[in-house]
Amino acid sequence: MSSSSKNDVSKRRGAGQWAVAWRRFKKHKSGLFGLGMIIVLLFVAAFHNYIAPYPAGSLAPLYQGDAGQPPSLKYLFGTSVGGSDVYSEVLHGAIYTVYVAFSGTIITMVICIAVGIVAGYMGKYIDEVLMRITEIFLVFPSLMLILVFARIFQLRNSNPYWNLLGIQIPIGLTMVILIVSVFAWSPYARVIRGEVLRLKEAEFIQASKGIGANSRWIMIRHILPNVLPQIVVLATLTMAGIVLTEAGVSFLGFGDPNTITWGRLMEESFPFMSTAWWAEVFPGLAVFLTILAFNLLGDGLSDALNPRLRE
Amino acid sequence: MGLAKYVARRLIYMIPLILGISLVSFLVMYSAGDPITIATMGNPMITETEKQFLRHYYGLDLPIPVQYFRWLTNFLTGNFGNSIYGNKPVNQLIASLSWETVKLQLVSIIISFLIAIPAGIYAAVKQRSATDYTVSSISIMGISLPVFFTAVVFILVFSYDLGWFPSAGAHGAPTLWPVFGIRNPILDEIAHLVLPALVLTLASVAYNVRLLRAGMLEVLRQDYIMAAKASGIQERTILYKYALKNAITPLLTLLGLSIGGAIGGAPMTETVFSWPGLGYQFVLAAGRLDFPVVMGITMLITIFILLANLITDLAYAWVDPRVTIE
Repeated sequence: MSSSSKNDVSKRRGAGQWAVAWRRFKKHKSGLFGLGMIIVLLFVAAFHNYIAPYPAGSLAPLYQGDAGQPPSLKYLFGTSVGGSDVYSEVLHGAIYTVYVAFSGTIITMVICIAVGIVAGYMGKYIDEVLMRITEIFLVFPSLMLILVFARIFQLRNSNPYWNLLGIQIPIGLTMVILIVSVFAWSPYARVIRGEVLRLKEAEFIQASKGIGANSRWIMIRHILPNVLPQIVVLATLTMAGIVLTEAGVSFLGFGDPNTITWGRLMEESFPFMSTAWWAEVFPGLAVFLTILAFNLLGDGLSDALNPRLRE
Repeated sequence: MGLAKYVARRLIYMIPLILGISLVSFLVMYSAGDPITIATMGNPMITETEKQFLRHYYGLDLPIPVQYFRWLTNFLTGNFGNSIYGNKPVNQLIASLSWETVKLQLVSIIISFLIAIPAGIYAAVKQRSATDYTVSSISIMGISLPVFFTAVVFILVFSYDLGWFPSAGAHGAPTLWPVFGIRNPILDEIAHLVLPALVLTLASVAYNVRLLRAGMLEVLRQDYIMAAKASGIQERTILYKYALKNAITPLLTLLGLSIGGAIGGAPMTETVFSWPGLGYQFVLAAGRLDFPVVMGITMLITIFILLANLITDLAYAWVDPRVTIE
């Protein structure tokens, strides 16, 4: 953050804003714990092929006659009735969760930042139109459209992967992420708009206007950096929300049939829950801990970054 | 401005919103998939001519704008069309399922608020105390618990393992669920209600506690509370007489949101428990692309949320004289 106008005008929120926040965040034990869990998740997602005892979708336990075994030293989370190692499958699923959390959040944030800042700063009829659209999205019973959409893509999906620079990107999962994100941004756009309305009257914005800066410059160079703390907090909460929705959509059987996410593991094991609880509970626990990690991090960040709650 | 005029204006204002939502959902659904293909997928004997006949029967071969206007005119006269599965009138289907959903939601909303109000207030008043930390950490775990995961764990523990409560459905007929060895239709209904209601309560209570705590903290920070403290007014009086009144607005918002969302049911919870309500039906219908049912339930939810929002706003103006309806 090296925007010079901020150093001149706003003394309290000087160049050290993020350093101050980090110092405050370091004292927040649960926030740090959340951050730690997310680092573990990222580590597992990056190296799942090396950590997991069996490759993704492997039925090796089945061929060894070990289908439906309870957790043991050999199979940490047990084996599913279908004969796969639950521990391996959960580790392999981490990469999809990371993909869902980050790509979904980027889409959601881009929409809500654009709408929030433009509506708040431009005001007048632009604000009116954008807020009406936001309202429709707020009221929309989104789950139903998400499910119908996801189902349609499930049925149409012929080519399961995109090949992007050698990385295989599952199309079905990407579609689910897109649909979920399109319905996730509306409450956040309102929060950001409110924040912009408050900022708009600040002296440094008026000064910038006075020396002839145009709206686009002010929005990008002055407004955006000043709503960034709020955005960071909202983004962490969005990650939790999107992971939850995607897992739910998959659990209900509307997920991408070609990717074994945690939600899909749960969906597949649900009918056999009475005989093999472990195949249902461990993927669910993974979803829970991931969401908890993002929420804890979000809480810590909001305490560290929200100037209104500072004592 | 008069109350009647305000309500009338708000109701008129809802019309474009409802039409917009119906148009968007309709276009998205009907232009994207073919329900007949899906409905007949499990039937290899069906011929293309028969499929064409079915499409014609449901009017799916007409241009989409024509279909929408047909749907809209029917909808305005209270006819939601017939379901593609089972060919039942959608409004009858909705009416028959609503009660189970309302029953479940009502019980869980009441319990949730009975727990959340004292917990939220207490945590805010004793901010930074051990109780506050306990309440706060339990509630952050609570908001992170996916509802389908809680449901699964509850079924495993209380139904499969302990055998206390049934794991699915709302009624046990013909074999009633024995409660303390007694088989009675009412006890049976209660036994079926316990687990899903508990899961739904857990899902909302943590969220409510957090918002109430935040709202209460906001109030307690204000000058007039400080002034009251400085004048030596008892802590209790300040809390219940001065602070609580101002913390009631976030409470109203929450209540409005819960009630507004209630009619949509809780699709996840209802599905896990095979609860014969709107939420489960909605998931089933979405899976089969049974568009008339999905549209009917969507419109019902939309209208309900909008009405709940209106009532919430009216309630604001009623409790808080600073809020004027205009």
